[in-house]
Amino acid sequence: MSEQSTPGTGTRSDVMISLRDVSKRYSGADAEAVRPLSIDIERGEFLVLVGPSGCGKTTTLRMINRLVEPSGGEIWVDGKNATRVDADELRRHIGYVIQQVGLLPHMTIGENVGLVPKLLGWGKDRIRQRVTELLDLVGLDPDTYRSRYPKQLSGGQQQRVGVARALAADPPVMLMDEPFGAIDPITRGHLQDEFLKLQARIRKTIVFVTHDIDEALRLGDRIAIFDENARLAQLATPLEILTNPADDFVRSFIGDGAALRRLALLRVGDLPAVPGVGIRDGVEVEPDETVSAVLEKVLAAGSDSAVVRGRGSLTVQDMLLATAVRDESAVAT
Amino acid sequence: MSFFDYVSANSEIIGFLLLQHLQVVLLAVGFATAISLGVAIGTERLPRVRAALLATSGTILTIPSFALFGLLIPVFGLGVAPTVLALTVYAIFPILRNTVTALETVDGAVIDAATGMGMGSGRRLRIVRLPLAWPVILNGIRVATIMVVAIAAIGAAVRGPGLGELIFRGLSRIGGANALNEALSGVVAIVVVALLLDVLFLLIGKLTTPRGLHV
Amino acid sequence: MTRVLTTRGDAAPRSSASAGTTGDAPRSSPIVPLVAALLVAGTLIYIKTADLDAIETRSLAIGELLVRLAEHVQLVAVSTVVVVALGVPLGILLSRQAAGPLQAPVLAVANAGQAIPSIGILVLLALLYDVGFAMAVVSLVVYALLPVLRNTMVGLRQVDRSIIDAARGMGMGSRRILFTVELPLAVPVMLAGIRIALILNVGVATLATYTNAGGLGDLIERGIVFYRMPILLSGCLLTIALALLVDWLAGVAESRLRPRGL
Ligand SMILES: Nc1ncnc2c1ncn2[C@@H]1O[C@H](COP(=O)(O)OP(=O)(O)OP(=O)(O)O)[C@@H](O)[C@H]1O
Ligand SMILES: [Mg+2]
Repeated sequence: MSEQSTPGTGTRSDVMISLRDVSKRYSGADAEAVRPLSIDIERGEFLVLVGPSGCGKTTTLRMINRLVEPSGGEIWVDGKNATRVDADELRRHIGYVIQQVGLLPHMTIGENVGLVPKLLGWGKDRIRQRVTELLDLVGLDPDTYRSRYPKQLSGGQQQRVGVARALAADPPVMLMDEPFGAIDPITRGHLQDEFLKLQARIRKTIVFVTHDIDEALRLGDRIAIFDENARLAQLATPLEILTNPADDFVRSFIGDGAALRRLALLRVGDLPAVPGVGIRDGVEVEPDETVSAVLEKVLAAGSDSAVVRGRGSLTVQDMLLATAVRDESAVAT
Repeated sequence: MSFFDYVSANSEIIGFLLLQHLQVVLLAVGFATAISLGVAIGTERLPRVRAALLATSGTILTIPSFALFGLLIPVFGLGVAPTVLALTVYAIFPILRNTVTALETVDGAVIDAATGMGMGSGRRLRIVRLPLAWPVILNGIRVATIMVVAIAAIGAAVRGPGLGELIFRGLSRIGGANALNEALSGVVAIVVVALLLDVLFLLIGKLTTPRGLHV
Repeated sequence: MTRVLTTRGDAAPRSSASAGTTGDAPRSSPIVPLVAALLVAGTLIYIKTADLDAIETRSLAIGELLVRLAEHVQLVAVSTVVVVALGVPLGILLSRQAAGPLQAPVLAVANAGQAIPSIGILVLLALLYDVGFAMAVVSLVVYALLPVLRNTMVGLRQVDRSIIDAARGMGMGSRRILFTVELPLAVPVMLAGIRIALILNVGVATLATYTNAGGLGDLIERGIVFYRMPILLSGCLLTIALALLVDWLAGVAESRLRPRGL
């Protein structure tokens, strides 16, 4: 407890995870899998690590719960030097979700979800109650699924259980390594949506690994993009990355669809609308709808403008212009 | 005298030897199981030692049983001790091999998840790896048992207990009235023991395999 | 029935595992022949230096030992040749499509056969027909045929269907496919079976003494009957040395004969 400290930027209570010059070189490898890296992750923040295969995302993530021991630097979690506390104890307070899920096949869904609480010595009733709550939370009917075995669930359902299991002891921190990676695109979309809603409620500090830039843009509060040499190319909000890629690598990584993606990110409520109801045949929309959704509606209705409830009206041109403007980052954050 | 007449006339002695046979086999397999699990778990961080022990126990299996039984006589004399000891030695390899393989091949993602949720190596072994490895370990025990049931017959050559005695007695009365019946009763009884144990292990497997593995 | 078929749960000696995933590669560690040589040397030195009585001296004369060894090797060599000559073609025939319905019962019998004690076969055949070398060879063949037969069938059966389909697609006939695709791919498993048969033969041949067919087991038996430890020990140690050497040679041969790239 005496090890409280204030890393670089944030104030003491803001920062949940602090990586300080953390690096990793696997024995026998000539290059560092993770180059000295410093990131402060705020309480309740959703940070996505993204980059090509082999750039060290998994390694970085696994150093936080010490499944991989760092070769250099320090990692602080919740004001404690993670490298100095008991690893098992540390892990019980960090949720961990992996792509292969890794449910224990010989235990029921209920037992799987209740495992960490059991390790922490909770009573039977409390565990049972918690399992019910969590299965509800991830959208699986507790009565139906509690006593099933992992093999009896689909991949998407298993992944929900994986998330529930990671949340079981209500850890402040969640580490997720491509959790939706092995799931078909449609289910993945659903899971991402649900997970965003869930996160809005539970406000965990999340470090999330993916190699899918769209997933990163969709989920992250901030995104750390690594290049293939394990260099941190950019650490910024999704909008900033789309509008101000730091270099050619980032530009090529976010790809040509960038402008369109930006449309999918911006909410019409964030655009400067003309107050008042000037135009009669505008399509009525909510301020939290995305620009791309609104554009689609407007064009489908054969109109050329939208009326944003409580804000005012926007023409198609307004919307397109807004997305083309380069320095718009302030708008979204 | 027909074979069946012979068997019913001598059912008492056959039954007695059958029980003896069963006892010796189960004793040896029990020892071998304990040793194999101990070695497999004890050498988890010593891969070279583990490989050497596995290779050694495999090599021992190529030693003719008659020679191994004989080799033990100067130390342990004739009878039960050399029989049980030799059978134990033979039973180790199938069990050890299956245990090692099973523990090593437990799904990495499951282990990873277990470690990630804060299980130490002891817990991982007890809660995750042994239960998952159990069906394969049990199969190794089954295989060892069937094998040892047959080898135990040779124990009679060193005055060991069990059904082998019927075979050797039949042989010693070669040309005599019931020589063939006697030897045949021994062979048949041994096969029966093997089949019974096979079924028993299948049942044990059904009962002890964690449900989630065969849903 | 499939349960008995898993290569991993195979009851036969270690070599059967090499077809599995245990990383139990055919071993050609030089330690094994070294141990065998040491056993032989130690036994011979012991015989030369120990204070032996009349029975012991007679049984352990070098000429006598060589005779026993020759008997043993003959038993093993003849029966192994016969086993391979019978087992491999039979296994191939049984694995052809036409023999489909026979496969399962044959494999079941082959696996159940493991439960029959070798001494039982030897003694029953002796009681039914005759004692001596020929009958002992028959016993050895009966006992060791099963692993060769089984491994040949299993080896052929586990050849990837898609490879066979590809060969068929290239226009190969079934005989052609058998010789250029299936057999080469089945060779490792078949070799493992032959090695098992060889080891079994070395072992069962030690029991041939009980049916007057000689072999190194003669020494062991005499040692037990007369309770002469020098004879017993010499017999055991020489038998073990022979078994180790044969298995080692078989292992070397196995890795040499295995098609490259497998
Ligand atoms: N246990 C290990 N031992 C040695 N090298 C390793 C180990 N784990 C990872 N590496 C190496 O470290 C580098 C980074 O690996 P890491 O798994 O962190 O990449 P990643 O970004 O998660 O890739 P992916 O998107 O493919 O999952 C790679 O070059 C990898 O080969
Ligand atoms: Mg990874």
